[in-house]
Amino acid sequence: MPEIKVTPLGAGQDVGRSCILVSIGGKNVMLDCGMHMGFNDDRRFPDFSYITQNGRLTEFLDCVIVSHFHLDHCGALPYMSEMVGYDGPIYMTHPTKAICPILLEDFRKITVDKKGETNFFTSQMIKDCMKKVTAVNLHQTVQVDDELEIKAYYAGHVLGAAMFQIKVGAESVVYTGDYNMTPDRHLGAAWIDKCRPDIVISESTYATTIRDSKRCRERDFLKKVHETVERGGKVLIPVFALGRAQELCILLETFWERMNLKAPIYFSTGLTEKANHYYKLFITWTNQKIRKTFVQRNMFEFKHIKPFDRSYTDNPGPMVVFATPGMLHAGQSLQIFKKWAGNDKNMVILPGYCVQGTVGYKILNGQRKLEMEGRNTLEVKMQVEYMSFSAHADAKGIMQLIRMAEPRNVLLVHGEAKKMEFLKQKIEQEFSVNCYMPANGETTTITTNPNIPVDISLSLLKRESVPGALPDPKKPRIMHGTLIMKDNSLRLVSSEQALKELGLVEHHLRFTCRVHIQDPHSEQDTLNKIYSHLKTVLKDSSIQHLPDGTLMVESILIKVSTASEDPSTKILLVSWTYQDEELGSYLSTLLRKGLPSS
Amino acid sequence: MEEEEEDRLSNDELMDDWLIESIKLYNNLHAFELQDPTKVIEWTGEKSICVAGFKSGGRSEILELTLPQKLCAKEDQGLCPERDFKMEHGGFSERPIYCLKHVQGTRLLVSSGPPDNSLQIWQIGVDDSDVIRLLNCINNEEQNNHWSKIATSAAGSPCVLHGTHVKNLQVTEIESTKNVFLPGIASVDLVSSLEFLSKDAFLLCSVRGQMWLMDMRQQKVVAAQDVCALPAEDFYWCMGVERRQPDLDAVPCRVAKLSSTGYIFVSDVRNLAKHMCQTKVSIPSPVAENKFMNVSWAPALDNNIAVSGFSGSIEIYNITSWHSTDTEACPMFVHKGHTVLEDRDKGEIPLVTAHTWHPWKPRTVLSAATDGSLQVWEWR
Repeated sequence: MPEIKVTPLGAGQDVGRSCILVSIGGKNVMLDCGMHMGFNDDRRFPDFSYITQNGRLTEFLDCVIVSHFHLDHCGALPYMSEMVGYDGPIYMTHPTKAICPILLEDFRKITVDKKGETNFFTSQMIKDCMKKVTAVNLHQTVQVDDELEIKAYYAGHVLGAAMFQIKVGAESVVYTGDYNMTPDRHLGAAWIDKCRPDIVISESTYATTIRDSKRCRERDFLKKVHETVERGGKVLIPVFALGRAQELCILLETFWERMNLKAPIYFSTGLTEKANHYYKLFITWTNQKIRKTFVQRNMFEFKHIKPFDRSYTDNPGPMVVFATPGMLHAGQSLQIFKKWAGNDKNMVILPGYCVQGTVGYKILNGQRKLEMEGRNTLEVKMQVEYMSFSAHADAKGIMQLIRMAEPRNVLLVHGEAKKMEFLKQKIEQEFSVNCYMPANGETTTITTNPNIPVDISLSLLKRESVPGALPDPKKPRIMHGTLIMKDNSLRLVSSEQALKELGLVEHHLRFTCRVHIQDPHSEQDTLNKIYSHLKTVLKDSSIQHLPDGTLMVESILIKVSTASEDPSTKILLVSWTYQDEELGSYLSTLLRKGLPSS
Repeated sequence: MEEEEEDRLSNDELMDDWLIESIKLYNNLHAFELQDPTKVIEWTGEKSICVAGFKSGGRSEILELTLPQKLCAKEDQGLCPERDFKMEHGGFSERPIYCLKHVQGTRLLVSSGPPDNSLQIWQIGVDDSDVIRLLNCINNEEQNNHWSKIATSAAGSPCVLHGTHVKNLQVTEIESTKNVFLPGIASVDLVSSLEFLSKDAFLLCSVRGQMWLMDMRQQKVVAAQDVCALPAEDFYWCMGVERRQPDLDAVPCRVAKLSSTGYIFVSDVRNLAKHMCQTKVSIPSPVAENKFMNVSWAPALDNNIAVSGFSGSIEIYNITSWHSTDTEACPMFVHKGHTVLEDRDKGEIPLVTAHTWHPWKPRTVLSAATDGSLQVWEWR
């Protein structure tokens, strides 16, 4: 039976990075290539020794797919392609291809410049890696080679995030990456058609989480901003140029409008240019509402939100500023932070994950005294808030997705089957599927039962079908034919046609059996008796007297001769071809019973 | 499609309005959606609760959930981004769960539900897995087809007080399933609420509002409260016993009794015959049965009571502002989250099925409703 093998790379229970290997129909595909942000040594990279002990990966992989630009899904890509070595195709959506290199470069700068790491990929490696990337569109079937094809589906979550279907022949796998099932202010919800893959691969953490509503998270954000501004404080929100910033701006704008608030809101200029540029390029990736408003105006044209100027940093009174970069590791956001950190009326809200080594990371871990350049110490008196706005699916969402795709099997990574017996049962029973939960480094082998489409010749179809009866999938019938597999076609034809096509002569196989019966009459009489007997029994078959004294029933020959030892014993020779085995053996059994005495 | 989109947008706006209002009203607000509605929220630890389905015809799930980090953090709450519940353990029940109690200090749960009055004993987390497994069944000596009310005690060997009618109450030791005490109170009324006050004493309330304080050592009823002399209607009553933080083991002092028409009477458990204070609370309409009626005392606040089960909201009262049953009491706070926050198809407004107070965070309540929503809120 054909199989699909799935192996999440990594060790033990750790959840920090995604990198999954799938073997399907003889092809090897790598799904995501993430970096583990919690480690500083080689453990942060996926363990490629599973694929090969040493050497390049090119000949072992048919393609690599990256689901979205978060570092725990793409952070190890340049390491894999340039330092371990892979020259094959890498696929991702257009927005992912545009944004990945920016995030990778930022990440590289922080890790190398700030932390002085040496075993890390270089800027040139990032560039070389991205040259190997082919961008794909949503719902576009991409032929990786003759047999392997992939298709991207909208996943929500972040700009450009996609779920991927990987198909070889009649077998397919859907990898969800990160996705969410409820639309938010700037992105829609994930969607997939009833593609009925053999396996859906998703995260086990989704299935065990019950997520707080988006609205309550937003409420919390608005409340914190409002409280700070009310007491005359300043709010700094470090953001990466895309997605989250957009969403928070829309939120604040709505709130300011409703509450008739007067405090100024700014965004740093670096933000607008880049963001506008990307949004124009990827407008199809945002949701309906955004698209409608974009047609009418510029993305970052708000009533209450204005571009920031450095000089405003020292303005008295409350204000809110969105500034890049997002982890407070350099640039404008860090400069503003240094000026505002000493005042306890102020607040900094970090809306996302911060990499180790950045100021953002340090203050999120409770550090209140920071060492700046020139051995200056910065005392952090301002309030620090960590808010997670990442849109992820949860237990309810994963059920919805499974219901949409209708897979035959479900595989959850980053979980452990022994510890998740209840969850496994729940999914298995709700959807009548098998649920697998391999531990990291463990391979799951799933047997598939693919349908193989075969062309049948018209003449064979006519011959084998029962007149007037429609084929019933619940009542399979056995039919005889020959399967010809030539080039890429599979055809079912009659044996005669096959022999003809192949230029072979058919061998004939003939069975003969001797039946002894007691009959004192002449051979001719016996023959006639047999004729009458068979005529009565086999009403529908053709029975003929042949000129040479043989009786022919259909194509079966019956000859009568007398036994030499005893004239009252007749020997019947019953002869039939292999094709007429059924009738032939029936006749010989019938005749063995003797002739009716007339 | 256009209309749908418009409706969704205006629904969004209404929600936005309420959320903006809520910034002034609440310190914290979290809203979750369970796959199935629950009518129990039972604490199994400082940071975990159990919920369970109660749909008829088909399996129900019992889930143990850990609270979001943000709700458990005592300091530096701002540095916790985690706002989600995590499903730690789960089990399947063949019958709907109407009542679920945890046995303190153990990993045992006791549940009851139709079609009969037997109890199911569960263990959470068997063999380090995520399973809640059915261990055993305890039958009432008098079998019938009502569902039992339950109270658990872990003092000494874990026991469960259970029964459907006052006369068939029994205290059963969980491990041996042997009865250790039979109150033998001769009343044919249905039991409404049960509560252990200490190792040896428990309080029980019948659906007609009669209460008995039983001392198991002395083997007798030491205090009782009669049916209230109120205009004859089909009242259902339930009770809530006060437990004061931090000393949960101290004998509680007060009990509040709630009727299906909105009357509340408060008494001292040591002097049940008298009412300390009383009032009538405003309810949209009397409920036909005490399916979801719930009254409880705040463990970390003085004189605060929460009432739910009559509508989609939960009311918080301060009993010191009560005068009599003639004037309707005004709630200190009303939580309307269940009626506003859900993206549901237009139609029924959900009914609150259960609520419980956070053990040590003042003004923090967890509540659930018939639409599967589960909310955690802390009002200002």
